[in-house]
Amino acid sequence: MKTYDKGDVLPDDYKALLLNLMAFQGDSEYAGAQRVAENMRFAPRPEEAYRLSKKVMEEMGHGYYIWNLMQDLGVDVDARLQELVRNPDNPDPKKVNVINGFRKENWSTWFECWEDVALFSTVVTPAAVAFLGQYRDCSYLPWARVNVRIHKEEHGHLAFGVWASKRCIEFGGEKTREFMQDRVAKFMRVGLGFYGRPSSGGNKSAMFDKYYEYGIKVKKPEELQAEYMELLESRLKDVGLEVPKGVEPDYDMRVGYEGADKPLETVN
Amino acid sequence: MAQAAELPNKLFANGRGVLAKFGYGRLDHDPAVEDWPAMWDLLKGDFAVAARPEVPSFGQLGAAEQAAAMDYMRRRIEADHSLEICERLHVELFAGGIDTARVERYSAARETYETCVEEFGEARERLEALLRRKS
Repeated sequence: MKTYDKGDVLPDDYKALLLNLMAFQGDSEYAGAQRVAENMRFAPRPEEAYRLSKKVMEEMGHGYYIWNLMQDLGVDVDARLQELVRNPDNPDPKKVNVINGFRKENWSTWFECWEDVALFSTVVTPAAVAFLGQYRDCSYLPWARVNVRIHKEEHGHLAFGVWASKRCIEFGGEKTREFMQDRVAKFMRVGLGFYGRPSSGGNKSAMFDKYYEYGIKVKKPEELQAEYMELLESRLKDVGLEVPKGVEPDYDMRVGYEGADKPLETVN
Repeated sequence: MAQAAELPNKLFANGRGVLAKFGYGRLDHDPAVEDWPAMWDLLKGDFAVAARPEVPSFGQLGAAEQAAAMDYMRRRIEADHSLEICERLHVELFAGGIDTARVERYSAARETYETCVEEFGEARERLEALLRRKS
Protein backbone atom coordinates (compact mmCIF):
# COMPACT_ATOMS: atom_id res chain seq x y z
CA MET A 1 0.00 0.00 0.00
CA LYS A 2 1.42 3.38 -1.01
CA THR A 3 1.40 5.85 1.87
CA TYR A 4 1.50 9.65 1.99
CA ASP A 5 2.75 11.97 4.71
CA LYS A 6 2.32 15.65 5.46
CA GLY A 7 3.53 17.79 2.55
CA ASP A 8 3.48 14.98 -0.03
CA VAL A 9 1.72 15.69 -3.31
CA LEU A 10 -1.51 13.65 -3.35
CA PRO A 11 -3.06 12.37 -6.62
CA ASP A 12 -6.24 14.35 -7.30
CA ASP A 13 -8.68 11.46 -7.06
CA TYR A 14 -6.97 10.12 -3.94
CA LYS A 15 -7.18 13.55 -2.32
CA ALA A 16 -10.87 13.92 -3.16
CA LEU A 17 -11.75 10.56 -1.64
CA LEU A 18 -9.57 11.17 1.40
CA LEU A 19 -11.04 14.60 2.07
CA ASN A 20 -14.55 13.28 1.75
CA LEU A 21 -14.02 10.76 4.54
CA MET A 22 -12.03 13.21 6.67
CA ALA A 23 -14.86 15.73 6.31
CA PHE A 24 -17.39 13.12 7.37
CA GLN A 25 -15.31 12.30 10.41
CA GLY A 26 -14.45 15.87 11.45
CA ASP A 27 -17.92 17.29 10.86
CA SER A 28 -19.64 14.31 12.46
CA GLU A 29 -17.39 14.32 15.52
CA TYR A 30 -18.36 17.93 16.19
CA ALA A 31 -22.05 17.49 15.30
CA GLY A 32 -22.14 14.31 17.38
CA ALA A 33 -20.80 16.27 20.33
CA GLN A 34 -23.62 18.77 19.86
CA ARG A 35 -26.15 15.92 19.98
CA VAL A 36 -24.52 14.51 23.10
CA ALA A 37 -24.72 17.98 24.66
CA GLU A 38 -28.48 17.97 24.04
CA ASN A 39 -28.70 14.72 26.01
CA MET A 40 -27.39 16.47 29.11
CA ARG A 41 -31.03 17.12 29.99
CA PHE A 42 -31.53 13.42 30.72
CA ALA A 43 -28.68 13.19 33.27
CA PRO A 44 -30.28 11.98 36.50
CA ARG A 45 -27.35 12.43 38.89
CA PRO A 46 -24.24 14.59 39.30
CA GLU A 47 -21.61 12.14 38.11
CA GLU A 48 -23.67 11.19 35.06
CA ALA A 49 -23.95 14.88 34.13
CA TYR A 50 -20.23 15.55 34.53
CA ARG A 51 -19.19 12.41 32.64
CA LEU A 52 -21.49 13.29 29.75
CA SER A 53 -20.15 16.84 29.69
CA LYS A 54 -16.63 15.36 29.53
CA LYS A 55 -17.70 13.31 26.52
CA VAL A 56 -18.94 16.47 24.77
CA MET A 57 -15.55 18.11 25.27
CA GLU A 58 -13.72 15.04 23.93
CA GLU A 59 -15.83 14.67 20.79
CA MET A 60 -15.44 18.35 19.92
CA GLY A 61 -11.69 17.94 20.40
CA HIS A 62 -11.73 15.09 17.86
CA GLY A 63 -13.44 17.37 15.37
CA TYR A 64 -10.73 20.00 15.84
CA TYR A 65 -7.95 17.42 15.28
CA ILE A 66 -9.42 16.31 11.96
CA TRP A 67 -10.25 19.80 10.76
CA ASN A 68 -6.71 20.92 11.56
CA LEU A 69 -5.39 18.22 9.21
CA MET A 70 -7.91 19.11 6.52
CA GLN A 71 -6.72 22.69 6.69
CA ASP A 72 -3.23 21.50 5.68
CA LEU A 73 -4.89 20.07 2.56
CA GLY A 74 -6.46 23.38 1.60
CA VAL A 75 -9.95 23.09 3.04
CA ASP A 76 -11.63 26.12 4.64
CA VAL A 77 -12.42 24.34 7.90
CA ASP A 78 -13.35 27.52 9.76
CA ALA A 79 -16.43 27.73 7.54
CA ARG A 80 -17.40 24.23 8.68
CA LEU A 81 -17.08 25.16 12.36
CA GLN A 82 -19.03 28.37 11.76
CA GLU A 83 -21.84 26.46 10.06
CA LEU A 84 -22.17 23.87 12.82
CA VAL A 85 -22.00 26.42 15.62
CA ARG A 86 -24.48 28.80 14.00
CA ASN A 87 -26.90 26.08 12.82
CA PRO A 88 -26.57 23.17 15.22
CA ASP A 89 -30.12 21.94 14.62
CA ASN A 90 -30.03 21.92 10.83
CA PRO A 91 -26.59 22.51 9.29
CA ASP A 92 -26.52 22.94 5.52
CA PRO A 93 -25.50 19.61 3.87
CA LYS A 94 -23.79 21.64 1.14
CA LYS A 95 -21.43 23.07 3.76
CA VAL A 96 -20.83 20.13 6.10
CA ASN A 97 -20.90 16.30 5.84
CA VAL A 98 -22.67 15.07 8.94
CA ILE A 99 -23.65 11.39 9.08
CA ASN A 100 -27.40 10.91 9.07
CA GLY A 101 -27.41 9.48 12.58
CA PHE A 102 -25.96 12.69 14.01
CA ARG A 103 -28.51 14.96 12.36
CA LYS A 104 -30.95 16.18 14.98
CA GLU A 105 -34.08 14.97 13.16
CA ASN A 106 -32.81 11.37 13.35
CA TRP A 107 -30.93 11.47 16.64
CA SER A 108 -33.77 12.98 18.65
CA THR A 109 -36.08 10.09 17.80
CA TRP A 110 -33.87 7.62 19.68
CA PHE A 111 -33.67 9.31 23.09
CA GLU A 112 -36.44 9.42 25.64
CA CYS A 113 -34.57 8.81 28.90
CA TRP A 114 -31.14 8.45 30.48
CA GLU A 115 -31.21 4.68 29.90
CA ASP A 116 -31.19 5.45 26.15
CA VAL A 117 -28.12 7.65 26.61
CA ALA A 118 -26.33 4.86 28.49
CA LEU A 119 -27.33 2.27 25.89
CA PHE A 120 -26.20 4.40 22.96
CA SER A 121 -22.65 4.41 24.30
CA THR A 122 -22.85 0.69 25.08
CA VAL A 123 -24.46 -0.51 21.85
CA VAL A 124 -23.58 2.02 19.09
CA THR A 125 -20.16 3.24 20.23
CA PRO A 126 -18.55 -0.20 19.63
CA ALA A 127 -19.38 0.36 15.94
CA ALA A 128 -17.57 3.71 16.00
CA VAL A 129 -14.62 2.08 17.79
CA ALA A 130 -14.38 -0.59 15.09
CA PHE A 131 -15.05 1.77 12.17
CA LEU A 132 -12.71 4.59 13.17
CA GLY A 133 -10.12 2.09 14.36
CA GLN A 134 -9.37 1.13 10.74
CA TYR A 135 -8.18 4.66 9.96
CA ARG A 136 -5.17 4.08 12.27
CA ASP A 137 -3.74 1.93 9.48
CA CYS A 138 -4.81 4.01 6.50
CA SER A 139 -2.51 5.27 3.75
CA TYR A 140 -2.60 8.97 4.76
CA LEU A 141 -0.23 8.93 7.73
CA PRO A 142 -1.19 12.23 9.47
CA TRP A 143 -4.80 11.03 9.61
CA ALA A 144 -3.67 7.59 10.79
CA ARG A 145 -1.68 9.16 13.67
CA VAL A 146 -4.56 11.36 14.81
CA ASN A 147 -6.86 8.38 14.77
CA VAL A 148 -4.58 6.48 17.13
CA ARG A 149 -5.31 9.28 19.62
CA ILE A 150 -9.04 9.33 18.85
CA HIS A 151 -9.44 5.56 18.97
CA LYS A 152 -8.06 5.44 22.50
CA GLU A 153 -10.66 7.97 23.62
CA GLU A 154 -13.50 6.22 21.79
CA HIS A 155 -12.66 3.18 23.90
CA GLY A 156 -13.14 5.47 26.89
CA HIS A 157 -16.62 6.35 25.62
CA LEU A 158 -17.43 2.68 25.43
CA ALA A 159 -16.34 2.38 29.07
CA PHE A 160 -18.66 5.30 29.86
CA GLY A 161 -21.58 3.41 28.31
CA VAL A 162 -20.89 0.30 30.36
CA TRP A 163 -20.46 2.37 33.53
CA ALA A 164 -23.65 4.37 32.91
CA SER A 165 -25.68 1.25 32.07
CA LYS A 166 -24.49 -0.52 35.20
CA ARG A 167 -25.39 2.54 37.28
CA CYS A 168 -28.89 2.59 35.81
CA ILE A 169 -29.37 -0.98 37.00
CA GLU A 170 -27.68 -0.32 40.34
CA PHE A 171 -30.15 2.50 41.00
CA GLY A 172 -33.23 0.99 39.32
CA GLY A 173 -32.84 -2.73 39.95
CA GLU A 174 -34.18 -5.61 37.84
CA LYS A 175 -37.11 -3.61 36.51
CA THR A 176 -34.65 -1.18 34.92
CA ARG A 177 -32.52 -4.02 33.54
CA GLU A 178 -35.59 -5.44 31.76
CA PHE A 179 -36.53 -1.96 30.50
CA MET A 180 -33.04 -1.56 29.04
CA GLN A 181 -32.97 -5.04 27.50
CA ASP A 182 -36.08 -4.14 25.50
CA ARG A 183 -34.32 -1.06 24.12
CA VAL A 184 -31.07 -2.70 22.97
CA ALA A 185 -32.43 -3.64 19.51
CA LYS A 186 -33.21 -0.09 18.37
CA PHE A 187 -29.58 0.94 18.96
CA MET A 188 -28.17 -2.30 17.57
CA ARG A 189 -29.83 -1.55 14.23
CA VAL A 190 -27.78 1.65 14.08
CA GLY A 191 -24.59 -0.12 15.15
CA LEU A 192 -24.98 -2.86 12.53
CA GLY A 193 -25.56 -0.34 9.75
CA PHE A 194 -22.69 1.94 10.70
CA TYR A 195 -20.17 0.63 8.12
CA GLY A 196 -22.45 0.63 5.12
CA ARG A 197 -23.58 -2.13 2.85
CA PRO A 198 -21.51 -5.31 2.23
CA SER A 199 -18.44 -5.00 -0.02
CA SER A 200 -19.82 -7.52 -2.54
CA GLY A 201 -23.15 -8.63 -4.00
CA GLY A 202 -26.01 -6.73 -5.58
CA ASN A 203 -26.35 -4.17 -2.81
CA LYS A 204 -22.63 -3.38 -2.57
CA SER A 205 -21.50 0.18 -1.98
CA ALA A 206 -20.65 2.02 -5.19
CA MET A 207 -17.51 3.60 -3.72
CA PHE A 208 -16.06 0.96 -1.43
CA ASP A 209 -13.63 -0.59 -3.94
CA LYS A 210 -11.99 2.77 -4.63
CA TYR A 211 -11.46 3.53 -0.95
CA TYR A 212 -10.11 0.05 -0.38
CA GLU A 213 -7.78 0.14 -3.36
CA TYR A 214 -6.20 3.39 -2.13
CA GLY A 215 -5.86 2.14 1.45
CA ILE A 216 -8.10 4.89 2.78
CA LYS A 217 -10.38 2.20 4.13
CA VAL A 218 -8.46 -0.88 5.14
CA LYS A 219 -11.23 -3.18 6.34
CA LYS A 220 -14.32 -4.54 4.63
CA PRO A 221 -17.76 -3.91 6.15
CA GLU A 222 -18.02 -7.62 6.91
CA GLU A 223 -14.79 -7.53 8.95
CA LEU A 224 -15.94 -4.43 10.82
CA GLN A 225 -19.28 -6.00 11.58
CA ALA A 226 -17.57 -9.06 13.07
CA GLU A 227 -15.38 -6.77 15.19
CA TYR A 228 -18.48 -4.85 16.27
CA MET A 229 -20.34 -7.98 17.31
CA GLU A 230 -17.41 -9.17 19.39
CA LEU A 231 -17.18 -5.85 21.22
CA LEU A 232 -20.95 -5.62 21.63
CA GLU A 233 -21.35 -9.11 23.06
CA SER A 234 -18.62 -8.60 25.65
CA ARG A 235 -19.95 -5.19 26.76
CA LEU A 236 -23.57 -6.29 27.00
CA LYS A 237 -22.51 -9.33 28.98
CA ASP A 238 -20.55 -7.09 31.34
CA VAL A 239 -23.69 -4.99 31.94
CA GLY A 240 -25.93 -8.05 32.38
CA LEU A 241 -27.79 -7.70 29.08
CA GLU A 242 -28.12 -10.03 26.08
CA VAL A 243 -27.63 -9.56 22.35
CA PRO A 244 -31.14 -9.66 20.82
CA LYS A 245 -31.75 -12.03 17.89
CA GLY A 246 -32.85 -11.15 14.37
CA VAL A 247 -31.88 -7.46 14.37
CA GLU A 248 -31.48 -6.00 10.86
CA PRO A 249 -29.00 -3.17 10.07
CA ASP A 250 -30.27 0.36 9.48
CA TYR A 251 -28.04 1.49 6.60
CA ASP A 252 -29.66 4.92 6.42
CA MET A 253 -27.67 6.04 9.49
CA ARG A 254 -24.31 5.02 8.01
CA VAL A 255 -21.38 7.08 6.83
CA GLY A 256 -22.32 7.50 3.17
CA TYR A 257 -19.75 6.22 0.68
CA GLU A 258 -21.69 7.71 -2.21
CA GLY A 259 -20.97 11.22 -1.00
CA ALA A 260 -17.42 10.81 -2.31
CA ASP A 261 -18.69 11.41 -5.83
CA LYS A 262 -18.56 15.11 -5.14
CA PRO A 263 -15.10 16.34 -4.08
CA LEU A 264 -14.72 19.08 -1.49
CA GLU A 265 -13.71 22.52 -2.62
CA THR A 266 -10.22 23.54 -1.53
CA VAL A 267 -8.88 27.05 -1.09
CA ASN A 268 -5.64 26.62 -3.04
CA MET B 1 -15.10 34.53 38.26
CA ALA B 2 -16.05 36.19 34.96
CA GLN B 3 -18.19 34.15 32.59
CA ALA B 4 -16.58 33.14 29.30
CA ALA B 5 -18.02 34.71 26.18
CA GLU B 6 -20.64 32.48 24.65
CA LEU B 7 -20.87 30.70 21.31
CA PRO B 8 -23.92 31.77 19.27
CA ASN B 9 -25.97 28.77 20.33
CA LYS B 10 -27.39 27.57 23.66
CA LEU B 11 -25.74 24.17 23.92
CA PHE B 12 -23.10 25.01 26.53
CA ALA B 13 -25.46 27.28 28.45
CA ASN B 14 -28.05 24.51 28.57
CA GLY B 15 -25.41 22.04 29.73
CA ARG B 16 -24.36 24.40 32.50
CA GLY B 17 -28.04 24.68 33.42
CA VAL B 18 -28.08 20.92 34.04
CA LEU B 19 -24.85 21.09 36.04
CA ALA B 20 -26.36 23.96 38.04
CA LYS B 21 -28.85 21.48 39.50
CA PHE B 22 -25.78 19.95 41.14
CA GLY B 23 -24.21 23.20 42.30
CA TYR B 24 -22.48 24.61 39.21
CA GLY B 25 -22.43 28.39 39.14
CA ARG B 26 -20.94 28.86 42.58
CA LEU B 27 -17.45 29.51 41.25
CA ASP B 28 -17.13 32.91 42.90
CA HIS B 29 -17.65 31.46 46.36
CA ASP B 30 -14.77 31.41 48.80
CA PRO B 31 -14.30 27.76 49.86
CA ALA B 32 -13.80 29.02 53.42
CA VAL B 33 -17.39 30.23 53.51
CA GLU B 34 -18.88 27.58 51.27
CA ASP B 35 -22.23 26.22 52.44
CA TRP B 36 -21.23 22.57 52.32
CA PRO B 37 -24.53 21.20 53.75
CA ALA B 38 -26.49 23.03 51.03
CA MET B 39 -24.15 21.74 48.33
CA TRP B 40 -24.40 18.23 49.75
CA ASP B 41 -28.18 18.40 49.37
CA LEU B 42 -27.69 19.04 45.65
CA LEU B 43 -25.20 16.24 45.20
CA LYS B 44 -26.27 13.44 47.50
CA GLY B 45 -28.49 11.89 44.81
CA ASP B 46 -25.24 10.39 43.49
CA PHE B 47 -25.44 7.95 46.43
CA ALA B 48 -29.15 7.04 46.47
CA VAL B 49 -28.73 3.49 45.15
CA ALA B 50 -31.63 1.02 45.24
CA ALA B 51 -30.18 -0.65 48.34
CA ARG B 52 -29.96 2.72 50.18
CA PRO B 53 -32.46 5.15 48.68
CA GLU B 54 -32.33 7.58 51.63
CA VAL B 55 -28.99 9.40 51.88
CA PRO B 56 -28.17 11.15 55.20
CA SER B 57 -27.96 14.95 55.33
CA PHE B 58 -24.51 16.48 55.74
CA GLY B 59 -25.08 16.98 59.47
CA GLN B 60 -25.97 13.33 59.94
CA LEU B 61 -22.68 12.15 58.42
CA GLY B 62 -19.86 11.06 60.72
CA ALA B 63 -16.52 12.89 60.72
CA ALA B 64 -14.87 10.55 58.20
CA GLU B 65 -17.86 10.70 55.86
CA GLN B 66 -18.03 14.49 56.14
CA ALA B 67 -14.34 14.77 55.22
CA ALA B 68 -14.85 12.45 52.25
CA ALA B 69 -17.98 14.39 51.22
CA MET B 70 -16.05 17.67 51.29
CA ASP B 71 -13.28 16.15 49.18
CA TYR B 72 -15.94 14.98 46.69
CA MET B 73 -17.58 18.43 46.58
CA ARG B 74 -14.25 20.28 46.19
CA ARG B 75 -13.40 18.11 43.21
CA ARG B 76 -16.71 19.06 41.60
CA ILE B 77 -15.76 22.72 42.01
CA GLU B 78 -12.37 22.04 40.38
CA ALA B 79 -14.15 20.35 37.48
CA ASP B 80 -16.33 23.44 37.05
CA HIS B 81 -13.26 25.68 36.84
CA SER B 82 -11.64 23.51 34.17
CA LEU B 83 -14.89 23.28 32.19
CA GLU B 84 -15.02 27.06 32.07
CA ILE B 85 -11.51 27.14 30.58
CA CYS B 86 -12.53 24.59 27.92
CA GLU B 87 -15.58 26.63 26.97
CA ARG B 88 -13.48 29.79 26.69
CA LEU B 89 -11.12 27.99 24.31
CA HIS B 90 -14.06 26.83 22.18
CA VAL B 91 -14.98 30.47 21.78
CA GLU B 92 -11.38 31.30 20.82
CA LEU B 93 -11.38 28.59 18.13
CA PHE B 94 -14.70 29.84 16.81
CA ALA B 95 -13.66 33.49 16.81
CA GLY B 96 -9.98 33.16 15.85
CA GLY B 97 -10.04 30.10 13.60
CA ILE B 98 -8.64 26.60 13.80
CA ASP B 99 -4.87 26.30 14.03
CA THR B 100 -2.48 23.86 15.63
CA ALA B 101 -1.65 26.05 18.63
CA ARG B 102 -5.30 26.66 19.54
CA VAL B 103 -6.22 23.02 18.97
CA GLU B 104 -3.41 21.84 21.24
CA ARG B 105 -4.28 24.42 23.90
CA TYR B 106 -7.82 23.14 23.86
CA SER B 107 -6.58 19.55 23.96
CA ALA B 108 -4.55 20.26 27.09
CA ALA B 109 -7.50 22.03 28.75
CA ARG B 110 -9.93 19.22 28.06
CA GLU B 111 -7.45 16.67 29.36
CA THR B 112 -7.38 18.65 32.60
CA TYR B 113 -11.18 18.68 32.68
CA GLU B 114 -11.29 14.97 32.03
CA THR B 115 -8.87 14.34 34.88
CA CYS B 116 -11.01 16.48 37.21
CA VAL B 117 -14.14 14.52 36.29
CA GLU B 118 -12.33 11.23 36.82
CA GLU B 119 -11.13 12.42 40.23
CA PHE B 120 -14.66 13.54 41.09
CA GLY B 121 -15.81 10.02 40.29
CA GLU B 122 -13.05 8.44 42.36
CA ALA B 123 -13.97 10.68 45.31
CA ARG B 124 -17.58 9.53 44.94
CA GLU B 125 -16.44 5.90 45.07
CA ARG B 126 -14.42 6.50 48.24
CA LEU B 127 -17.40 8.13 49.92
CA GLU B 128 -19.74 5.44 48.64
CA ALA B 129 -17.51 2.80 50.26
CA LEU B 130 -17.72 4.63 53.60
CA LEU B 131 -21.50 4.99 53.38
CA ARG B 132 -21.90 1.33 52.47
CA ARG B 133 -19.82 0.28 55.46
CA LYS B 134 -21.99 2.39 57.75
CA SER B 135 -25.41 1.27 56.43
